[in-house]
Amino acid sequence: MEYGNSQPTPSSGASALVTQRLTKNFGGLRALDGVSIDVAKGSITLVIGPNGSGKTTLINVVTGFLSADDGKVVFEGRDITNKPPHEIFQMGVVRTFQNPHPLKKLAVLENLLIAEPGYGESVLQSFTRRWVDKEERLVKKAFDILNFLGIEHLWDEQAMNLSGGQLRLLEIGRALMCDAKLIIMDEPIAGVAPALSHSILKKLKELTKSGISFLIVEHRLDIILDYVDWVYVMANGRIVAEGKSDEILKNPKVIEVYLGAQG
Amino acid sequence: MAQEYLLLDIILWFSIYLIVALSLNIEYGYAGIPNFGRALAVLIGAIAVGGVVNRILILLLGIEGRGIIETSGTLKSTVNAMISQNPLLGLGILVLCLLIAALMGAVTGALFILPSAKLRQDYLAITLLAISEVLFLVSNYNTSIIGGYYGVSIPDVLAFVPGERRFLAFALLGVGIALLVYLFVERLLTSPYGRLLKAMRENEDVVKAFGKNILVLRIKTVALGSAIAAIAGAFYSLYSVNVIASTFFRVDWTFFPFLMLLLGGMGNNRGVVLGVFSFVIVKVLLIVYKFEIKSTLHLPFEATWLEYILFGVLMLLILYYKPDGLIKEKPVTMTPPIKHALKQKAKETSGR
Ligand SMILES: Nc1ncnc2c1ncn2[C@@H]1O[C@H](COP(=O)(O)OP(=O)(O)O)[C@@H](O)[C@H]1O
Ligand SMILES: [Mg+2]
Repeated sequence: MEYGNSQPTPSSGASALVTQRLTKNFGGLRALDGVSIDVAKGSITLVIGPNGSGKTTLINVVTGFLSADDGKVVFEGRDITNKPPHEIFQMGVVRTFQNPHPLKKLAVLENLLIAEPGYGESVLQSFTRRWVDKEERLVKKAFDILNFLGIEHLWDEQAMNLSGGQLRLLEIGRALMCDAKLIIMDEPIAGVAPALSHSILKKLKELTKSGISFLIVEHRLDIILDYVDWVYVMANGRIVAEGKSDEILKNPKVIEVYLGAQG
Repeated sequence: MAQEYLLLDIILWFSIYLIVALSLNIEYGYAGIPNFGRALAVLIGAIAVGGVVNRILILLLGIEGRGIIETSGTLKSTVNAMISQNPLLGLGILVLCLLIAALMGAVTGALFILPSAKLRQDYLAITLLAISEVLFLVSNYNTSIIGGYYGVSIPDVLAFVPGERRFLAFALLGVGIALLVYLFVERLLTSPYGRLLKAMRENEDVVKAFGKNILVLRIKTVALGSAIAAIAGAFYSLYSVNVIASTFFRVDWTFFPFLMLLLGGMGNNRGVVLGVFSFVIVKVLLIVYKFEIKSTLHLPFEATWLEYILFGVLMLLILYYKPDGLIKEKPVTMTPPIKHALKQKAKETSGR
């Protein structure tokens, strides 16, 4: 199972991810109502919107955790609509969860090691010990990521003993472990200290230079806006505005959506 | 003499139950699959011996007779005579039985777990229990598979061992097989495969999000677990020199193994060893002393029920007061590759 190199890379200016009129209903509730977005290759694309506007649902549908009722999801030119999550990952798309999903009884380090594509799936390989070399490389890489996130000292701690903020870092670390082409993050810096948030975002920005794209849902606009290339604004399951990060907050629709939600 | 017998009984049951409990540890302790149909795989092992290998031998030796029950009786006396002259034949049949049992266990296990594609954990547990019960009843009432409630005879693969040493020989053989299974399971579970199973137990969404096919992992895992449990069933049948479907009752082969697992501690094989050992000691002592206990305590029920009541209460107590078992699961952080990486890191930082 090769990871991520299933298609020739499109030339620059191409899209990493495109959704076309995505629709998702929960009973009578239309959580996604014709959502079309475009994540340019090598960009950081942000989705904002009040609580309940459908951002997490969008991520779940794109990554195959929920099925779309209508519309299309296209990743690097290939239709991935309603494919199972593991296949979407194998094409090079990884996601994080809004509420962190730690593997509670496993050590922090182990939480990162399971991220490696195809790793540990073979029964036969457990007996050949061929995995030992690979494991050494992965452990080194995991330590580098933990070090960067400032939780290296917790490497052998069971994940259930981590604080909320540390769990969020673990969630990010796991996504960085597997060299994905598109990384989708659901509120990655909620509850993370501002200084560390900035260095994480700087790191992501750096990763875009090697062609990795990001789709991020985040509320903390004060911190994140400087790093993003394009912003979509959602409300009630629809995209109500889009634009560059320095212009989007001036858009009257955005002000209405946010004030409306708060007031 | 009686004490020696007791000791051998403990060793034998320890070996058999250790194999079954380890198989359940792979599936439930590690992978979190609530296989309430463990007894089925053990029964499949018995069917492999009494239903399949018996028929193969009957065909090969051209033994005549009416029906599997009668023919197996003739087979037994014929083959026992041959084995007592030729130990290699006995050992060959032993290996054949274990191999066929493992193979049949694996296939049944893989098919058995397919409903899990559509079912949540609790429904899955009930479904597996139901499938297991149905096959138990079929093999108990249909006398053409393994003789149903009459049972079938099985050649004694250790017929070359003199009678008074036979019990000892089987106990040693059991320990040997259990040891091999332990080493196999330990190696399997301390690899990235074992880690992935634990990850699946902790959170399936994470495993999916990182590209692993949950259904395929489950199929592989239950196939492996069932193959191992079937080996226990085959060995137990070879020791008993007969197969009777009713011995593969869910209390003995599903409930008790779960109890041993919970008692010792899930997700670590040393815990399982301890759990099985404590259980078997109590069980064998109960068998020997249950009538004394009943009369001393003036218990108002049959002595036979003592075991069920005691183990039922024990299960509740463990779940309530010691949910992690006697030995708690620990994260695996000191494997050779991790140690190696740590050493290198220490070198780098001191070199700076
Ligand atoms: N699994 C679900 N079942 C039913 N309703 C859901 C489910 N997931 C989300 N919703 C509903 O869909 C709407 C959008 O939710 P969500 O995508 O989580 O919003 P956001 O992430 O923008 O806060 C909300 O009204 C929420 O209650
Ligand atoms: Mg959300």
